Amino acid sequence: MRRNGPLSILFSLVFVSFMLAPIVVVIGVSFTPEGFLEFPPSGISLRWFRAILDNPEFITAAWISLKLGVAAATVATVLAVPAALAIGQGRFAGRDALQALFLSPLMVPTVVLGIAFLRFLSLMGLNGTFFGLMLCHAIIITPFILRLVLASVAGLDRSVEKAAISLGARPLTVFRRVTLPAIMPGVIGGWMLAFITSFDELTVTVFIVNPSTTTLPVRLFSHITQTTDPLVASVSAVAILFTVALMLLIDRLYGLDRLLIGEGKR
Amino acid sequence: MAFLELHGLTKRFGDFAAVDDLTFTVERGSFVSLLGPSGCGKTTTLQMVAGFETPTEGKIILDGKDLSGIPARERGLGIVFQTYALFTHMTVEENVGFGLEMRKVSRAERKRRVADALDLVHLSHLGNRYPRQMSGGQRQRVALARALVIEPQLLLLDEPLSNLDAKLREEMQLELRRIQREANVTTLMVTHDQSEALALSDSIVVIDHGRLRQDATPFDVYETPQSSFVSRFLGKSNNFSARLESAGPDGSKLVCGSLDLQGPRVDLAPGPVEIALRPERITLVGADAGQLRGTVAERVFMGNQWLLRIETEIGDMLVMRYNTGRAEAEQGATVGLSWKPEDIRILPAEETSA
Repeated sequence: MRRNGPLSILFSLVFVSFMLAPIVVVIGVSFTPEGFLEFPPSGISLRWFRAILDNPEFITAAWISLKLGVAAATVATVLAVPAALAIGQGRFAGRDALQALFLSPLMVPTVVLGIAFLRFLSLMGLNGTFFGLMLCHAIIITPFILRLVLASVAGLDRSVEKAAISLGARPLTVFRRVTLPAIMPGVIGGWMLAFITSFDELTVTVFIVNPSTTTLPVRLFSHITQTTDPLVASVSAVAILFTVALMLLIDRLYGLDRLLIGEGKR
Repeated sequence: MAFLELHGLTKRFGDFAAVDDLTFTVERGSFVSLLGPSGCGKTTTLQMVAGFETPTEGKIILDGKDLSGIPARERGLGIVFQTYALFTHMTVEENVGFGLEMRKVSRAERKRRVADALDLVHLSHLGNRYPRQMSGGQRQRVALARALVIEPQLLLLDEPLSNLDAKLREEMQLELRRIQREANVTTLMVTHDQSEALALSDSIVVIDHGRLRQDATPFDVYETPQSSFVSRFLGKSNNFSARLESAGPDGSKLVCGSLDLQGPRVDLAPGPVEIALRPERITLVGADAGQLRGTVAERVFMGNQWLLRIETEIGDMLVMRYNTGRAEAEQGATVGLSWKPEDIRILPAEETSA
């Protein structure tokens, strides 16, 4: 293997620090004993973690975000996998248009989307419902899944499916036993990316939530518009911990590098 | 009646005929190769037999039954793909057992038949491996076992050896022939590699531009090619335009450039023809002997043989000489070329350029 020169090591150091600095700051701030945001913290205290328990609306919001993320990512995956197979393997008129349609939520400014969703949900009578919120999130995150699944569909050898057919497999069996396992890294990676996107989506969500469906990012946002106490930092620290735990779990079950690079731990 | 019959099989994509009125038969238990350059329509033909492409015209009859309208999954054919197309998330045993599972074969019987198939391809010890842990040659064997375990009526091989390196390819040629004989399965192979087709087949169907050029045993295809294309596609050949002066029972008289030649008897009318002469049929003699004189332009040593390019008055001639332990004529040397009149093949002049 080629060794990295000093410049590229410097670049990597700067890059990684830049990526990690906000996380370090947030976790540092969350341990402060003071009533304001300070970094580095003047002492170590769990005061603001205890404060989460005194603010059950954060816990409720976290639950809503979790359920919303799981539901929206799952719905979007169910939509995106067949779409990716059709776009990636099919040869039909309107294929490019279909792909553009599925990816369009990425290109429309989120504020515009938020206003549109608000109007749309009122028309449908879904305003303020969890179901309506879930649908909107599913639409926003579909492009993320589609992109990842499309990438794994592109690497799919069509003759593998033909081999299964020639051995007597019906279309559904081919999908379940051959196609789906082959694109699984893309599907799981897409689902995770979609879940995380939904979990911290704020811009669109503020337009369409009501008090009963307030998500964690919206709750945090409205909290800091009123006060600036370190509670937001401790809540964020817990969210980071949760994400790291999730990543470790997936790495154990599946192998992260396999998921993100497509190879590795096998 | 032959086991597999293709009648006037045609596949058109728009105006382009990928396969054009192809008719040939395959006898039960035999090994037949579809040989042709890439893009000649041989793979499309295989796809139609497999059921992945629908013929525009024509019929495919297998064991007396018309295959049109029968979907690929019900044809019960064993297919080995160029990429092997193994199920990468399944072990070797699961791969091989997949076809039996689809046929709802009981677990115990499945186990026994998978073991037999792996035994046939000499992979019994690797049943628990995943395809990615295996070499190209081993994957090839897994693909073969997977195709054969369902006891197919017909085995289809799509360029089965093209992804292997040269040495392994030669080993697998012998191995493939052994497995095909032991399994006693009628086999149709698609290949662009003439040496593969010559080595493996009972019969070779040469295709070019979607059309059948010749259908004969490997020996006959090589020895008595019926067209310029076939003579040049299989092995090396020196081809020249010539004129057939007269054809009689004792042989024919030809004129090639300024040269008068004797040829074998032939069923062609006098007129323009093409003559073909294999490099290994030419012997080098003294400069003043032989039918033709030339200068050695290049000399390549290939271990077991020498390949020489000799400039002559009618054009360049390739000559192949076995290495008998002494050096051949050097570059720049003047030599005589000699051959027997019956080694010349007289072919109809090619009208279309190949």
